[in-house]
Amino acid sequence: MARPGSLGWLVRHEMRLAWRGRPRGWGGALIVAVLLAIYVLGGIALAIAIRDLPLRPHPVLGPWLFGATLLIASLMTTQAMLASQQTLYETRDLDLLLTAPLPPRIAILAKLLGIGASVATTSAGLLFPMLVPIALLGHPRLLGAVALVLLVALAAAAVGLALTLALARVAGPRAARTVGQVAAALVGGGFFLASQVAAHAKDGAARGLIGWFEAHGLGRAGWSALPMHAAFGDGMALSLVALTAFGVFAAVGIVLERQFLSTYTDGGMHMTRRRAPRRGMAGLFHASLRRTVFAKEWRLLARDPALIAQIAMRLIYMLPLVFVGVRNGGATAPVLAMAGVLIASQLAGSLTWLAVAAEDAPDLLVVAPVDPAAARRAKLAAALTMAAPFALLPALVIAPTTVAGAIVTLFVTTLASIATGWVEMAMAKPATRSQFARRQKGSLAATLLALLIALVGGGIAAGAVFFLSR
Amino acid sequence: MNESSLPPPALAVRGLAKRFDRPVIADLDLTIRAGELYALLGANGAGKTTTLRMVTGLARPDAGTIRIFGIDARRDPLAAKAITAWLPDDPMLYDKLTPSEYLAFVAGLWRMEPGHAAAEAERLLHWLDLWDQRDARCEGFSRGMKQKVALAGALIHDPKLLILDEPLTGLDAAMARSVKDALRAQVDAGKTVIVTTHILDVAERMADRIGILAGGRLMAEGTLADLRHQAGTEGMTLEDTFIRLTDGR
Repeated sequence: MARPGSLGWLVRHEMRLAWRGRPRGWGGALIVAVLLAIYVLGGIALAIAIRDLPLRPHPVLGPWLFGATLLIASLMTTQAMLASQQTLYETRDLDLLLTAPLPPRIAILAKLLGIGASVATTSAGLLFPMLVPIALLGHPRLLGAVALVLLVALAAAAVGLALTLALARVAGPRAARTVGQVAAALVGGGFFLASQVAAHAKDGAARGLIGWFEAHGLGRAGWSALPMHAAFGDGMALSLVALTAFGVFAAVGIVLERQFLSTYTDGGMHMTRRRAPRRGMAGLFHASLRRTVFAKEWRLLARDPALIAQIAMRLIYMLPLVFVGVRNGGATAPVLAMAGVLIASQLAGSLTWLAVAAEDAPDLLVVAPVDPAAARRAKLAAALTMAAPFALLPALVIAPTTVAGAIVTLFVTTLASIATGWVEMAMAKPATRSQFARRQKGSLAATLLALLIALVGGGIAAGAVFFLSR
Repeated sequence: MNESSLPPPALAVRGLAKRFDRPVIADLDLTIRAGELYALLGANGAGKTTTLRMVTGLARPDAGTIRIFGIDARRDPLAAKAITAWLPDDPMLYDKLTPSEYLAFVAGLWRMEPGHAAAEAERLLHWLDLWDQRDARCEGFSRGMKQKVALAGALIHDPKLLILDEPLTGLDAAMARSVKDALRAQVDAGKTVIVTTHILDVAERMADRIGILAGGRLMAEGTLADLRHQAGTEGMTLEDTFIRLTDGR
């Protein structure tokens, strides 16, 4: 058993907290267990199907595995950046750890290991139910891929923390969180966007970037082939990856100790921005309920970079639909119409959830002498207005192909957005804004219904544009 | 008596300075004797919390020295931390831990001997009326309950210097009374307690000495009688004295 105050003891404490922080309740656990069982069974079926296939490193596989490693590493780094920001600015247990008589380095390394474990757990949950059965049922060398994922998680945790600290140093304590959140979204979406831009320039969904890797010899030989060889269990490649990962991890934990402490202590000062008012006080007050609600909702969103970053991430991950639509111009205008409806209505749903379910002061609205229904309608209108540009853009792109189709797309997008907003208003459970990323857990029915509306609306818009553009 | 033969003060701060956009603490000298309850007063933004965060090692001073019972807290922070406890105004508790588990964790951080820590935790949980909730997770606790758990965490390693930032904020009368009693008991047991508070009545009734910070400097210090004398407010309340001394700052 680890000695109290030691690194192992603190890591155990972090793991206990993470375990207890899991969603509770039989319903959710049962759904997760069933999905996991199906996933594992799928993995076993796939493993049996390919057990006799000769899987080994091949030059054709290299660029793909190199790309996959970059993609996973970028997503892990994003997750690590967000976890680092949470550790530095939100969790607040560092006050206790740093006033205790133990070397700060121990506390920092424990936090870093905790971040690495959370990053690894997510990726493991997604990849291991497939990877492990394949490895155990015929391809044991692929256990190297399991080790590779864990090592990349370790390095990503360190890189994520280092990036967060560097950004805090450059941006200063006031802007550190904002810049960090936006940067995390860019890191996570960067590889994804790059692959889409490349795909847009060439043929095929992901061929563009992989083709670029192939053209430049990336993934086939030299350092860039390490992921492929490591994934197939090559001892030397795995050792080099492990050396790099542990080296980066130790370097960040030890070298950046001082920077970590100063970032944390500056963040702990809770400095608030003081701006000179650009206009008089009178400009802040409005006569109508709608304008008052509009102003409040817009301000809250504009001043919440974490939320903006999360919304941006969701949009970035939906962009492939748009790229598919734009790439072939009019031929795939229906796809663009569908993408427009999906993106705008999902965004409208998210923003309505923020305005209605995540209201910070629900009691204030209840005791105010206003019609609650009118206040909720004003919130819905504010959310729809925020999402409006995303509804207009696809219609504008479709218009040169078919004006009537563009109008239909805009109409269906508006209807779907209103319907999705109503679903959120009617079904979403009260929550805090910080729970935005996990809001689906609040009401699975609302999420599924909103998705159904988006898909049906998207289908109608796509069908209409298809027939109108013939 | 030779000065070097005197016991060291619980806290000796010399030339302490910290600035962010502007100087928050400027050339602060502060001496707090062992065994006293010292109340640090000041308006919002006066630098009280920043001062205490520097003393506890949570903020790095730009200049100055901090000695806790003679230990240079900047040169030997671990030794200084070993005899100090810090309770912030909004104490952080792990919602998913029970009070017993939280105390075990804090005891581990201070590397207490497990048997002694368990006995001390039991004593504190009884004393702070938390025994019945010892195995319930903190996530459902009221603010007052959380404050008491945090206080138990601060006391479990028997610190010689206890520093509390606004310990009574948000507590109801009964909770506030039990916290005040707990602090007084610490002083009676020979410990040193430093509190910041906006509740002047608390400082007036509890503190052995009071320091008033304004603009990052110690404007006045002493017993209530001393402060009244300095302010020329004999017979008036601490509130009147405070306002006179800080000139509304």
